[in-house]
Formats: sequence, structure tokens, C-alpha cells
Amino acid sequence: MTDRTPAPEGAEALAEQVTQARLATLGMLVAGLAHELNTPLGALNSNHDSLRRALEKLQAILADEVVSPDELEEVRRIVRAVDGILRVNDMAVERMSSLVRDLRNFGRVDRAELDLADLHEGLDSTLAILAHQLTAIEVVREYRPLPRIECRPQQLNQVFMNLLLNARQATPDGGRITIHTGTTGDAIEIRITDTGTGIRPEHLARIFDPGFTTKGNRVGMGLGLLISRQIVERHGGRLLVRSTPGQGATFTVRLPLDPAGGRTGTIPDAEVNS
Amino acid sequence: MSTQNTIMLVDDELMVLTALRGFLELETSYRILSFTSPLAALEALSAEPVDVIVADFMMPELDGISFLRQARATRPMATRILLTGYADKENAIRAINEAGLYYYLEKPWSNEHLQLVIRNGIERSALFTELDMRVSALEHANRELYQIRHRLIQAFL
Repeated sequence: MTDRTPAPEGAEALAEQVTQARLATLGMLVAGLAHELNTPLGALNSNHDSLRRALEKLQAILADEVVSPDELEEVRRIVRAVDGILRVNDMAVERMSSLVRDLRNFGRVDRAELDLADLHEGLDSTLAILAHQLTAIEVVREYRPLPRIECRPQQLNQVFMNLLLNARQATPDGGRITIHTGTTGDAIEIRITDTGTGIRPEHLARIFDPGFTTKGNRVGMGLGLLISRQIVERHGGRLLVRSTPGQGATFTVRLPLDPAGGRTGTIPDAEVNS
Repeated sequence: MSTQNTIMLVDDELMVLTALRGFLELETSYRILSFTSPLAALEALSAEPVDVIVADFMMPELDGISFLRQARATRPMATRILLTGYADKENAIRAINEAGLYYYLEKPWSNEHLQLVIRNGIERSALFTELDMRVSALEHANRELYQIRHRLIQAFL
């Protein structure tokens, strides 16, 4: 089924839709993170209660200041249980910390907007925060060495997120997404290939049009690829697509090794209506 | 009937599995079988009966509802409980109705509630098992009665 959201009237309307698209992605991201946090939280919550119970048991045993051989065995049992519980707590705290680390990396909250960045870091932090959406998919990373490039990493992360989410949505459970990186001549290439449904030839020319979507007519749908292409083009690069229906699709982000053309600080902020 | 009740825990998250196990070992004397793989759990189920099964919903190998449905085929008497991190009650309720689950718990769970649900689940399994035994005994007695009646009729004919 192919739908088109109402055609935007001018740049302002399009900018509004871009904002909606970003909010829709953000909403999905937040829902995924809530779920990711729930696992360590569930463990910590249960363990907190178990530790309190363990303490109560120990206090009861010590209440009469005499520990019988039977009670000693019980104390040993409780101590073993507490030991296991504390080890789970370590795991849970580490999981939560790494989630926050990934979020910071993805959002680049404490770094310059225009930066010399390692794109593998961006891909990895994007994959980490999408982990919840990607559980039923095999993700293959074919990374070749990449030089750091001058870019707007937060915006490129948004491109990776859009492309990975599209790939996930097109790929049935048990499928595969391959991320291939490398350099060719004076360009960096990042290819995201899925084993999904692919794109029909008559759709290929339209997928970058504003409002084009095959995923239903929700607000903010059909702009992810448009935004992605604009971000890549503002980095002096190109976003290319190749697909065989039924066999999947490949999106290629091709970025010049020196995107600013030697003039640092000239990559424009990617806004549709600028 | 065995004296020690057996609880099977299935969650692909080792963290959750260990927390559940730690709590139950601390507070109860159940025998605990825990699995991060639902497929391995199914294999274990065909080898020995359990009283209660607690399974996570989102697992990469096999989702909790499909797992519990298959578990029902192998061990119909076992009480099945779904532990879900997903706040989609609609799906959970549908699953309870379709797969005949006994209960569904949301993560983060309350240990006290979990303990109560498991205790009730054990009782339910025991009642079912007893009912099944009584029905078998009744059927057996009925068959015997029928044979006696048959022999009596034969004797007087």
C-alpha cells in the first residue's frame, strides 16, 4: 500500500513536517529506551527487596545473640544468596551506565556540533540505542579502517538511525542487516544492506520525495529519507539506493574524505528550509 | 506427588533470571530450574514435569507466548505465568485468553506478588493433578463395575 501525506505548502509546511518526523523518531527511541531500562530496573528492584529480606533473616538469627549449628548453615545460605544478588546488581548498574554512555555518544551532548569524528563510533552508538528494535535481526558489522572526518556527527547519527530503522522495518524477523564501511578513492562509503522486502522499481525514484511512504499515513511519516539525503548532501556527499524487490535494499552514504573542501566550519546546518 | 515443588524460570536476560532465582532461593524451598534459552527449556520439560513455569515475553529464540503454548502441549498440568516488560496489555490479555495462561506479571515485578502467584500456581497444578488422578480412578472403577455387572448378567443368563 502506498500513501502520500498531504503535499506541503512551501518551505514552512515542510519544515513543520520535518519537526514532526523527528518527534516521531524520538518517540520510538524513547519507548525503546524505556524498555531497555526496564530490564536492569526490574532486577535491581527485585534485588533490593531480596537484600532487605536477607538482612531481616540475619537480624532474626542474631536477635538472641546465639547462633546454633543449624542457624549457622542458614547464615551461610543467606550469605551465598546475597553474594549472587550483588553480582546481578553490578551487571544491572553497568547496563544502565552503558545505556547512558551510548545516549551521550549518540546525542553528542558534551561535544562540539562540528567535530573531527570517528563514524564507527556514531554507527555503534546508534546500533546500541536501537538494540531493542534489532533483537530479532542479525546485525553484521563489516568495518574497514576509516579516517576521522570533519562533520556534524549528531546529524550523521540521525542519518544512520533513519537508514537502520528503515532497514529494520523492511526486514522480517530472522533477517540480516549488514553495515559495510570503507574508503574508495577520495570518499568514505557506509553501506547499509538489508535482506528485507526491497523497493519496487516504480517507487525507487520517489522514495526521497517529501511525504512518500509505504508505511501508512501517519503524521511525520515519509520524511526520514528526505532529511537523510539533505544531511548527507550538506556534507558534500551523496545518499544512493539500490534494490532488488524481494531481496532487500542497500543504502550507501558516500562522504568526501574532506567534506568541508579544506575550509573547516563550512558544512551548513542541515535544515530543510534554510 | 513429589514433596519438593519445581519451578521453571525462562528469560534470555541472565540478570532477570538470576534476580528471580536469588529471591526464590532465599525465600522458598522450591527446586529451581532456570534457562536463558526457551528451546533448552522445552527440551528439559519433555524430560521431567514441573509445577509452575515463569517465562519472559520478549526472547530472540522464541517469544514467551509461543513458548508457553508449546510447554502446555508437553506439560498440560503445569501452571504458566508470563513475565513481560512490554506495557502492551492488549497483547498480554489476548495471550492469556488464547494460550490459556494463568497470570501475567509486569516488569518491574513485586517479589511478594510473584511469590503469591507462584504459590497459587502450585496449588492450582496440584489440584489439577489430583483431579486428573481422581477422574482416572473413577474411570477405572467405572470400568470394573461395568465388568462386574457384565459378569453378573452372564451368571444369571
